[in-house]
Amino acid sequence: MAEEDKKVNRREFFFKTGVFTALGLAILAFFRNLLLYIFPERKEKTFHKYLVAHEKEFKKDKRPKQINIGKTPVFVVPYDDHYKVMSGICTHLGCIVKWEQDKDRFFCPCHKGEFDRMGNVIGGPPPRPLDEFKVVVENHKVYVYVEDKVRSPWA
Amino acid sequence: MKFKEWLLERFPIDYEKFVEFNEKIFIKEPIPTHMKKWLFVMGATPLIIFGFQVLTGLFLTFYFMPSPEMAYESIRHITEDVRMGYWIRGLHRWGANLMIISLLLHMTRVFFTHAYRKPRELNWIIGVILFFLTMTISFTGYSLTYNQLSYWATTVGTNMIKEVPLIGDLMLFFLRGGDVVNTNTLTRFYTLHVMILPGIIFFFIFLHIVILRLHGVSIPEGFEEKYYSFYPHHFYKIIIATLFLLTLMSTLTVVLPPGIGIPADPSVTPTHIKPEWYFFPTYRFLKMVSLHVGIYATAAFVLVFTFWPFIEPLLSKEKRKQTIFSRTAGVLTLIITLILTIWETIVI
Repeated sequence: MAEEDKKVNRREFFFKTGVFTALGLAILAFFRNLLLYIFPERKEKTFHKYLVAHEKEFKKDKRPKQINIGKTPVFVVPYDDHYKVMSGICTHLGCIVKWEQDKDRFFCPCHKGEFDRMGNVIGGPPPRPLDEFKVVVENHKVYVYVEDKVRSPWA
Repeated sequence: MKFKEWLLERFPIDYEKFVEFNEKIFIKEPIPTHMKKWLFVMGATPLIIFGFQVLTGLFLTFYFMPSPEMAYESIRHITEDVRMGYWIRGLHRWGANLMIISLLLHMTRVFFTHAYRKPRELNWIIGVILFFLTMTISFTGYSLTYNQLSYWATTVGTNMIKEVPLIGDLMLFFLRGGDVVNTNTLTRFYTLHVMILPGIIFFFIFLHIVILRLHGVSIPEGFEEKYYSFYPHHFYKIIIATLFLLTLMSTLTVVLPPGIGIPADPSVTPTHIKPEWYFFPTYRFLKMVSLHVGIYATAAFVLVFTFWPFIEPLLSKEKRKQTIFSRTAGVLTLIITLILTIWETIVI
C-alpha cells in the first residue's frame, strides 16, 4: 500500500514538473518575443555621397562656401589642398551660424558663439566645435557622406 | 516572514480571513465531476483568449496609428519590419477567430445540455450579449487594418445600421463621424476597439462569472452530483488549456501568417468583397432576401435566441416536450448556420 502511494506521488511529481516546466518555458519565450517586439531594432547607419563643391571654385576665392543639404546649411572650407565640410548648426543651442569674412570667423547671433575657420570654438558658450562631415575628393569634385534618412516615418 | 509582517502592518487586512476567503472562493471552489471531461471546459477558453487579446492588443498599440494615412502603413510595419511583430499580430488575429469559435462551441454545449434553464436564464442572456459584443469588437478590430477588404466591409457593415428604424441615420452618422467612412470613423472604431468595448466585455465577464459562482456550475442530465476542489485538478486543467491555446495560436500564426492586403482605396470597390467568416451566415442571408426583410428577420432571430430560456417554458410546461422543442430549434439553427457559412465560402 505504501509503495502504491509512492508510485502515485512520483506520477504526480512528473506531472507537476511537466506542467510547470512547460508553463515556465512558455512564459520565457513569450517575454523574450515581447522584449524583441517592444524595443525597435537598432539599424546600422548608412550613408550616401553628396556633391558639395568643385575644386576650381576655390582657385581664387578661399572663402568658405555655404550650401544646403536638405534643410541643413553646410560650409565647405578649403585649406592646404584639403577640404573641411562643417554643419552650419551651432553646437550650443542649434541656431544657424554665418561666416564673417572680415573677422575670419563663424558667428552665431543667438548667444554670440564664435568658431574659427576650422570650426573650433574661439569664444562664447558653444560646448564643442562645429560638426564635421566625412569628405572625399574625386576628379576634382568634393563630396561629403550624408546619413541616409529613411523615407518611412519609422526611421 | 519578516516581509509579510512589514506588509501587513502597512496593508492591515485580516490575514486569516483573507486565507479563508481565498480557500473558499478559489482553492476549494466546488467543481462538479463532469467537468473532468474536456468537453465541459469550453467556458474557460474564451476567457483565456480574452486575456491573450488584451495583452497582444496592448502591445499592438505601441506601433499602430489610427489614421487613414498611417493605419495600413503601421500594420505593414508591424507585420514586416518589427521584430516578432508578425507574431504579436498573428496571435491577436488568430485569437479573435478562436475566441469566436470557442464561444460558439461553449454556447452550443450550454444550449444542448440545457444549462440555460431556470434559474440560470440571466446568465444565458449575459452570455449572448458577450457573444455579440465579441462580434462587434472583432468587426471594429478588423476595420482598423484599413485595407481594401476591411474598408469596404466597414462601409457595408455600417450601412446596415441605417436600416434601424427612427434613429438609424443618426446612429450611422455618430459611428462614422461623417457621411462616409473617413478619418473620424477610424479613430472612433479605435476607441471602441481598445477602450469602450473591452471595458464593457470585462464588466459582463465579471457578471457572468459572479452569477455562475452564485448558482454553481449546472450539472447535465446523467451525471452524478459529486464535486471536487478547484485546486489542484482544475487549476492544472486551466494551465494546460492556456498552454495549448498559446501553442495553437503560435502555430497558426507561423503556418498561416496574417496578411496585409491592398491599401484601402475609397474610390474603387473591389469586385469580390466578403466579410470575415463569422459574418458569412448573415451576409449570405442578406443576399437572398431584401435588405428590410433580412435585417428584421435577423433581429427577430437574435431576440428569440437571447430570450430562449423564457420562451421555452411558454411553449410547453412539460420538461420532455421542452427538450424536444429546444433540440429541434438548436439543430435547425446549427444546420442553417453551417449551410449559409459553407455556401458563402464556396460561392464567389
